[in-house]
Amino acid sequence: MRNNFQLFIIFLVFLITERLINPDLALATQAHGAPEGIYAHQMAHLIFAFSMGFLIYWQRKRNLVREAGWRFIQYAALFFILWNIDTFVVHLLDEQFNIIQVKRINLWQMQINVITGHRSLNVLYYFTKLDHLLCVPGMLFLYFGLRRLSEEAGQNISENTQP
Amino acid sequence: MIFPTFPLWIVDIAGSVLMVAFSFLCLRLVRKLKQYDLDNVIWTYLLWVCYGLAAFSVSRSAGHILKQLLLMSAHETLWLSIRPFSGAINTFMFVFVASVTLFFERIWKLYQQILKDKQKLQAMHKELLYLNQNLEQLVAKRTQALTLSEHKYRRIFEVSRDMILVAKKDGKVVDLNPAGHAMLGIDAADRSITGCLFQQFFSKEEDWNAIQQKINQRGFVLNFETDFKVRDGANIRALISGSFDKGLSQDEDTVLFLVKDIEERRSMEKQLAQADKLASIGQLSAGIAHEINNPLGIILGYTQLLLRKEPIESERHQDLKTIEKHVQSCKAIVKDLLNFAKSSKPRREKTIINKTIEDVLGFVQHHSNTDHIEILRDYDKKIPELMLDEKKIKQVLLNLIMNARHAVGHQGTIALSTELDADAGRVFIKVKDTGYGIEKQHHTSIFDPFYTTKPTGEGTGLGLSVSYGIIKSHGGDIFVESEPGKGSQFTVVLPVL
Repeated sequence: MRNNFQLFIIFLVFLITERLINPDLALATQAHGAPEGIYAHQMAHLIFAFSMGFLIYWQRKRNLVREAGWRFIQYAALFFILWNIDTFVVHLLDEQFNIIQVKRINLWQMQINVITGHRSLNVLYYFTKLDHLLCVPGMLFLYFGLRRLSEEAGQNISENTQP
Repeated sequence: MIFPTFPLWIVDIAGSVLMVAFSFLCLRLVRKLKQYDLDNVIWTYLLWVCYGLAAFSVSRSAGHILKQLLLMSAHETLWLSIRPFSGAINTFMFVFVASVTLFFERIWKLYQQILKDKQKLQAMHKELLYLNQNLEQLVAKRTQALTLSEHKYRRIFEVSRDMILVAKKDGKVVDLNPAGHAMLGIDAADRSITGCLFQQFFSKEEDWNAIQQKINQRGFVLNFETDFKVRDGANIRALISGSFDKGLSQDEDTVLFLVKDIEERRSMEKQLAQADKLASIGQLSAGIAHEINNPLGIILGYTQLLLRKEPIESERHQDLKTIEKHVQSCKAIVKDLLNFAKSSKPRREKTIINKTIEDVLGFVQHHSNTDHIEILRDYDKKIPELMLDEKKIKQVLLNLIMNARHAVGHQGTIALSTELDADAGRVFIKVKDTGYGIEKQHHTSIFDPFYTTKPTGEGTGLGLSVSYGIIKSHGGDIFVESEPGKGSQFTVVLPVL
């Protein structure tokens, strides 16, 4: 068993060395092509959504949501998750799959065409473009939450400093 | 499909402005929170989240507003060149906010730990402050409590009527209380007892070995009865209890002994046994005397009847006279026995005891040779008249004085004294002689009927037992204190009625 593992390692080292010294390939610096940006951005959205989910999980586990301030922050995290999903979908339809084609007709109108897939996707695309309807409430709830925490902290301090 | 662009512009521009506005409002609130408690890591954490969100809002909103303005003003090319920067900053800010958020659990745990430590520190600080402010008072209070406690236990040690002795396991005395000194006959100021061996005071070495064995086995010994040798050579009966007290080290191991002097109790028990014995003998004697008295009366009556008919010079008359004399002697003994058994109640009358003693003394001096015997008198003149059967008390005094006279022989001193104990309502009559005294083993028997140390024919052995019966019938007591070579002292205790 141990001998087999040693043989596998030796083979792996040989393979890597062979690829590195191969004159046909220039592996020193990797090139970053156009789609990489959207991939990084989409990953960032997923990480953002995951971190907000994580925040909700710990707040609930620690029973912080019993306090109004932390409860509002929980709602903010929930709206940010929804916002991330919304924008993830927009980027997916628009930039990754390239199934949506937007054409500006004039200042007040625009044409949204679905190249392949279901025709009703253009309606979904149009509404998902209104992502501020999710992130602004998220920020609003964060503001309410912080305001409540600030009030409670101020109250605690005034109670503690009373003679 | 054609869609209106107006709702998108409105939501985009208004949303972007609101995002920036609320993100900065959030930032302001967290900064305010931070001002309340600069060291609070949760507020620091939220501050970083808000910094990230503000940067995210600014980058995103600026991009959106700029995009709409550039598109509306037909500068799409310019927007296409700015767009990657805006997007990259946006992406970076997502990651930044997400990264900070992922640390929430760690930060919260840290905060809880800090809070706990802070509370502990505050509690300790409070306690220290209190101690600092009240240290002197606390020390004084505790010192006083300690002194009181020490004094209390020291008093128990000092005022205890029983011996309390602290000794090492090998018996070496560490401390002894005043009662212990008194019991062992050692001067309280004599500290030489410390370091002595406790076992040296035991009459029997095997008793000490048994005590030591019990302490080693069970850790204590309870109510072990033994005899102690005290300094003047006398023995006292004692009850020992002891407990092993484990010290911090083996050197500090001690045994605490509590020793109770039961000599007096034992003596009382002996006296009670003696009283019981005498009462039993008295009852027996009374029964026998009563049964013998009647036949003796009949013998005496018939003898006297026969005597009347016989001429005085006849040999038969002489024989009858001898019978009469011995029957009368028997009757006298029976009478004495009845007196000892308290069969007849005393006929009480007012008696001046000092005068009674003088009468008896006069009778003895008149009938017995007391020329070389010194008679000492020490009467208490405060003694009131006593309700006594004077005749019987005279008999007791006569017995005691005659015994004393016999004990001193041809030369010596007889001391007679009376004393009133008004509080106890008792009168003490003491008859003391300078004779040889009585051996200790005879002390318990001298009041027994027919017990005598005189040669046969010189005494019946009923004198003291009759006296005992008479005094008991008066509700009093009689006892002897005597040591060989130092003489004897008989004390009669009579109640003042």
